[in-house]
Amino acid sequence: MTSSQLFVLASLVVSLHTLGLIILIFTNMILLILAFMLFFMLWKGTHEKNYDRYRLISGLLIRRAVFYDDQIDPETGIPGTKKAKRLMINKIFRKLFTEELISAKKNIAGMAAENLKYLYHQLKLESFALKKLNRRRWHTKAKAIQELTLMDMRELKDDLFVYTNNKNEYVRMEAQVAVVQFNGFEGLRFLDSITYAISEWQQIKLLHKLSNLPPVHIDISGWLKSSNTSVVVFALKLARNYHGFEMHDVILTCLDHANPQVRLQAIHCLGEIYNDQTSIHLISRFWREDLRHQLAIIRALQNIGSEKDNIFLSTLLGNDDYDLKLNAARALASSGLKGLALLVEYNDSDLVLNDIITQVKGELAA
Amino acid sequence: MNLQATIFDVFTYALLSYAVLLLTIYILIGFFSIAETRAYVRKNSFTDYRVLASSPEAPSVSILAPAFNEGATIIDNVRSLLSLNYINLEVIVINDGSTDDTLAKLISAYDLYELDFFVNPQIITQQVKVVYKSHNPVYKKLIVVDKYKGGKADSLNVGINISKNDYLVSIDVDCVLEQDALLKLCKPFLEQTAKRVIATGGVLRIVNSCDIEGGRLVKINLPEEFLPRVQTLEYIRAFLLSRMAWTRLNGLLLISGAFGAFDKDIVISCGGYNNETVGEDMELVVRMRRYMEEKKEPYKVAFIPDPLCWTEAPATYKNLGRQRNRWTRGTIETLYTHRKMFFNPKYHVLGMVSYPYWLFFEYLAPIIETIGFLAFLLFCFIGVVTWSCFFIMMSIFSVGVLYSIFAILMEVLTYNQYKQKKDVLRLLLVAMAEPIFFHPFVVASAIKGNFDILRKRKSWGEMTRRGFTHLRKTKNKYGN
Repeated sequence: MTSSQLFVLASLVVSLHTLGLIILIFTNMILLILAFMLFFMLWKGTHEKNYDRYRLISGLLIRRAVFYDDQIDPETGIPGTKKAKRLMINKIFRKLFTEELISAKKNIAGMAAENLKYLYHQLKLESFALKKLNRRRWHTKAKAIQELTLMDMRELKDDLFVYTNNKNEYVRMEAQVAVVQFNGFEGLRFLDSITYAISEWQQIKLLHKLSNLPPVHIDISGWLKSSNTSVVVFALKLARNYHGFEMHDVILTCLDHANPQVRLQAIHCLGEIYNDQTSIHLISRFWREDLRHQLAIIRALQNIGSEKDNIFLSTLLGNDDYDLKLNAARALASSGLKGLALLVEYNDSDLVLNDIITQVKGELAA
Repeated sequence: MNLQATIFDVFTYALLSYAVLLLTIYILIGFFSIAETRAYVRKNSFTDYRVLASSPEAPSVSILAPAFNEGATIIDNVRSLLSLNYINLEVIVINDGSTDDTLAKLISAYDLYELDFFVNPQIITQQVKVVYKSHNPVYKKLIVVDKYKGGKADSLNVGINISKNDYLVSIDVDCVLEQDALLKLCKPFLEQTAKRVIATGGVLRIVNSCDIEGGRLVKINLPEEFLPRVQTLEYIRAFLLSRMAWTRLNGLLLISGAFGAFDKDIVISCGGYNNETVGEDMELVVRMRRYMEEKKEPYKVAFIPDPLCWTEAPATYKNLGRQRNRWTRGTIETLYTHRKMFFNPKYHVLGMVSYPYWLFFEYLAPIIETIGFLAFLLFCFIGVVTWSCFFIMMSIFSVGVLYSIFAILMEVLTYNQYKQKKDVLRLLLVAMAEPIFFHPFVVASAIKGNFDILRKRKSWGEMTRRGFTHLRKTKNKYGN
């Protein structure tokens, strides 16, 4: 804020009476904010002490559960939690303890993680999470789902499924992660009915969750026909990551999809899932596509192309776009000895192309 | 009423209206900023960046780091960039015709060799001399480009021509980035669904007096010197309040050249950085927005309030003056280039809100302030103004201080980088001192920038970097 500027401007017009009022208001506001800051810092200081105490208790409880190596008696549970149960009435302690428990659970596996889950259940923390689930505020709801997921409360999986198509992005994202964690690939059935777009970020999260599971056969054919294009894109990623070679012909149909993102993903996918006819299909669509998709096709051909594609790739060496030239040269070089020989012997007055060929030769030599 | 009194009234009421409007805007900025920051913090609490850090699906990013005579710090800076936590990354350092040992140091430290490299001239630039890569596989992400001098924008354009990835991150090579800076900066691109995210900006913080080791920030300290300290407050105000508020309105016009990410396709479609302006960072964002508006495609410019990038602030009035002079010239050049958008409904928020705001309250503010000040002196001289002005001065002074205190409060409630109570108190003192010891100088520099542009002065204005070694020494000198 440019105070001296305001000073100059206002000084010219405001009466003494108004002035007094202005001074009073702004001085009061400064004092108010300063008082608030002071109060906040004092409050924080005092609460830090309480927090430290709560953290100590939480740490003790968590460590006890982690290192408890006897068989847990269902009657008594993990011993020494009676006081903790009483403390759970305290909202601040409960929040802090839950956070610490979740943080520990994230970094621990095996028996110790099971004990933490048991402790969570024993202290009836899921009932508090379920209450939060019914709140109106989206972040409270989403936090509750995240908490139940991280604490592995899989008996609630059906309750959480209904949130996978929630109107709030964060609620449905957490619910989708939850059902995938609890049901594995079976949890992906939410893709059948989802009406909202799945962002790339969410797709990364879901693929990450799935990467921890043993691969299984997934039938993605239904999702490839979804009217939700993000579902089609995600299904193509699944096919690529899980090497769904049997889906090859269905994926080919996506090359004619109306949505450019789907076509692009299909090209990427066919760069991994291919047979000896794939390059023919890609080349047949080449001239219909824009530059971005054309580059993707040539890059796919670098991976899957063979000598039969050399004529097509050679024609691209004369293209006006330098990126196409460069990638066509790379594809030729990687298509086999004949393509490489073609490139090495290529003699043209095109200086740019000569530079490109020199670069590609250098890349091969490196 | 005589003519003199009428002129006096019209003049003063016009200025008062301006002041009231400005005050209203700052209050609105406060509200929008609170809403946007709260939304970001809540949403961010669901994010586990480790997922992105290890994902092969992470968007591919090219860091573009132009370097001109950065020999003092270049090795540490590049090491810092190479150690960033990101999987699909290439780091392109562009040596813009340095006359010192910048290139020699890079070649030696990173075991570089000359590469046969075809540079696709998608954007016209100065000629590239040599492209280097490292023999050492540890530095496989690094590309060093040696080119003829053409300025910062030209260097960035060379970087764009050489990059092979989908997103560009421009940085000042002397900046220190947080380890997860790229993860945070790139996430908005992954979240886009209905609107295409064309650029993302991050918060800059002042690195003076902080502890740096091996190109990494290890301890945050409030700057010991007055000028960097006052700029710390200024940056908190600008980034936590102003930019967050404009993000809420999807009206952000400026992503700092020191650290910002861009969609490469859009950058190339727009023709890259403009070499004809010294405000190439703002000009690019405005041009990208204009391009999307003219294409009628929904888009968004995102902003991350987390402190991601730490930069050295000018510690002398000479360097500060040059910097502010350049910022003013950059603003004028950008606004002039895109004058077509001024109150043009075809450009929606960009034309009807963002552009007029920048014209009236960023560019014209120092001019109006200076005119007002000169008028005040004149009116004092002819006896129109009374002694009561002293009280008015106090009230207006308090408006500025109030806004700064509010910014400090936001900082304490959100990121709280300066954890010691004495640091908060020091910032509060700076808020009181700024209008007297800092702001008039900034206004004067802006006015000089206006004169320089009239004289068609185009120089960048060199800023002497002292490097991180000096920063550590500064800190030790004060014994903290």
